[in-house]
Amino acid sequence: MTVGSQGLARSRTPHPRRVSVAFLSDRVRYGLIGFLIVIPLWELVVRLGIVKRVTLSAPSIIANTAINDLLVNRELWPHLFQSSQQFFLGLGLALLTGVPLGLSLGLFRRLNYFLDPWLSAIYATPTIALVPIIVLVLGLGLESKIFIVWLEAIFVIVVSTMAGVRAAEARYLDLAKSFRASRWLTFTSVILPSSFPYILTALRLGTTRALVGVVVAEFFAANKGIGFFINFSGTTLRTDRVMLGVIILGLLGVLMGEGVRRLERRFERWRPEFN
Amino acid sequence: MQAGLALEARNVRMEYVDQATGERLLAVDRVDLDIEEGQFVSIVGPSGCGKSTFLKIVNGLFPATDGTIELRRPDHGVAHAMVFQDSSLFPWYTIVDNVAYGLVCQGVPRKEAQARAKPLIDLVSLTGFETKFPYQLSGGMQQRANLARALTVDPEILLMDEPFAALDAQTRELMQAELLRIWNEAHKTVLFITHQIDEAIYLSDRVIVMSARPGRILADIAIDLPRPRKLEIKRSPDFITYADQIWSLIATQLKSHLHEVQAKPGESVA
Amino acid sequence: MGIAIPSQPLRPPQGRIGRLLHNERLILGLAGIVVFLAAWELGSRAGMIDRSFFGRPTGIVEAGIKEVQTPRFWGDFYASVTEFGIGYLLAILLGVPIGLAAGRFRRLQYALDPWLNFFNSLPRIALLPVLVIMFGVFGPGAKIAVVFLGAFFSIVIPTMQGVRTVDRRYVDVARSFDASERLLFRSVVIPSTVPFIITGLRLGIARALIGVVTAELYTQTEGIGVLIRRATELRQGDRALFGVLIFTVSGIVGVEAIRRVEARFQKWRPMTSLERR
Repeated sequence: MTVGSQGLARSRTPHPRRVSVAFLSDRVRYGLIGFLIVIPLWELVVRLGIVKRVTLSAPSIIANTAINDLLVNRELWPHLFQSSQQFFLGLGLALLTGVPLGLSLGLFRRLNYFLDPWLSAIYATPTIALVPIIVLVLGLGLESKIFIVWLEAIFVIVVSTMAGVRAAEARYLDLAKSFRASRWLTFTSVILPSSFPYILTALRLGTTRALVGVVVAEFFAANKGIGFFINFSGTTLRTDRVMLGVIILGLLGVLMGEGVRRLERRFERWRPEFN
Repeated sequence: MQAGLALEARNVRMEYVDQATGERLLAVDRVDLDIEEGQFVSIVGPSGCGKSTFLKIVNGLFPATDGTIELRRPDHGVAHAMVFQDSSLFPWYTIVDNVAYGLVCQGVPRKEAQARAKPLIDLVSLTGFETKFPYQLSGGMQQRANLARALTVDPEILLMDEPFAALDAQTRELMQAELLRIWNEAHKTVLFITHQIDEAIYLSDRVIVMSARPGRILADIAIDLPRPRKLEIKRSPDFITYADQIWSLIATQLKSHLHEVQAKPGESVA
Repeated sequence: MGIAIPSQPLRPPQGRIGRLLHNERLILGLAGIVVFLAAWELGSRAGMIDRSFFGRPTGIVEAGIKEVQTPRFWGDFYASVTEFGIGYLLAILLGVPIGLAAGRFRRLQYALDPWLNFFNSLPRIALLPVLVIMFGVFGPGAKIAVVFLGAFFSIVIPTMQGVRTVDRRYVDVARSFDASERLLFRSVVIPSTVPFIITGLRLGIARALIGVVTAELYTQTEGIGVLIRRATELRQGDRALFGVLIFTVSGIVGVEAIRRVEARFQKWRPMTSLERR
């Protein structure tokens, strides 16, 4: 074992002779070992009564509940549907407003200076603190939930996009200028491509934030949705359902994060390295 | 402007304010320079002497504080195009799109621009690399593409800002020979900035020696070596005499401005 | 005839006021603050903005002055500070060593990776209902746990990545001088990882604050979050926004404090051109 810069061994090609012995990479093998320690241990401490069933539930119970709620009585699907609607509408709106705003703030220095104090202040605020006011003003309908998701997601999108415009290198801008590229062409040929990786990062960060927004919105202002399902199950002491909801949320988060990362890699063909 | 001239600079001065200290610095001072059409002229000087700044003024990237620069208005094409120091190819464009960029900037549709870029890609021997991205090319090849990009807009004068500085010694020599071949075929006026004395002599009809900051013209030396030039010419006695002459001019500058050069490293003002 | 390139005289700002007026950023920033505050205040006074929801700037100041004279406020304030302080501190104390270890030992990293990835993608506040069952609604336990979970993953992951991306060249230098493993860690790995740890600390502050607010809104026991909720229910927009403002200020102060720490640790690092601007 050495400390090195190889980073994650994603692209490492296995040695041909070792293929038969270790058809699973170290990454997968040790990942599995982690699971094989945690899951049985969890089951065991609950079965042996070291931890009460209501506090942690247990993997077997959760699996059972999963089969029930997803396949047998299908209770979870409407909640998931409701949540995804809020998620995509909120995130979509955040992208539609946040990316142009971030681009303008990056492009127009004076606009940036003018709005900077407010943006910094809101960026530093945990916007969830505004949730009670939002619910009071917009009510318990879809509007308030979409607004909460939008509010959670937009600022990371704006800030990241803005950083992208700033990251456009002077030498490329000089080049465009020396060829007398129009303002629009400079924007499309230099600034947009330079900031594109940052916009994708904005999408990734926004996704995480939007998911937070969905949960918060449904905790405080819903009678449907995965957040509501988790919260309601908690108050009725159905820990197994809480855990199931949490696991689904986490898996969705992982899935979407991985999706955006794939997108990032795909759109950066021109990049010499992917890290 | 006199007939037969490609560039006429009169009393060019450039001052700027150091953002950190608020100090006013003189980068270029009283530069007079005439370049005849079709001539290859190099400017050499110690680093930080403002030669790159002068080039950027000619290119319109910086405004001069004082003085005038006139360029011949071309019958076709544009007045000037720049070959930058580092390759500065857009990493997000393929080679053909990079080479065609100057034309796209002029409003030529992309497809047509690509078609017109093709002969220039052939000229710089990059045939077959059109759809590659810059990172897939070696440093020398990137600079060829860089040169082709400047040539596609058919400039009256080609401005080159230490284009081979980042290349290794062997590649640099090969690129110098290549540049002379291309220059011979393209019939362009060239203003070439370098800190390499042998490069300047080998390529040029005239070598302008600039002083340490503020940049002034110390000497204007006509290089009377026969063309076409082979790389072997660098070992000829005449070549070495030129090199010694220029080196001694620069060496005195280096000695007298040693402190200043140490205190203010870096070439450009940007 | 030719093309003349225009020359342009250069005029640096003269005198102190001249330079101040030259500072566009400051002036426009102040203008931005003033314009919005004035619009808010006037809109509220003209009845276009409902004060019971959105308050008004002068009202927020008044509410704040009144609020800080009540003992209940200080009780809430103390509760929030405690939750934040204990949760965040625990996250640092556990997050940094675990991150270093996971970065150092590849197998440990592989074993932890799926879990870290899962919890990092999960909005940790979703765990609130379980935590409330575990620790009870009353008392700070559940709230501290959410704050901890919020900050922990933001700290552990960058720390691990920091160790992973140590520049191979420096490792080679240490090895070529036969540095011991411990010395290698101290002289190369830790210094290269510090910027990553600090990034983690900065992200952690934001996440910890989110934890504080959400947990307090959720449990409704005590804390500034409860103050906000109570005030909102009473239609006291000014007072609610005063509560929000406390979080804003905490966020700004926290990030600034981290910046100070960073400056202290990063003396050896040359300023990048971006920072100099």
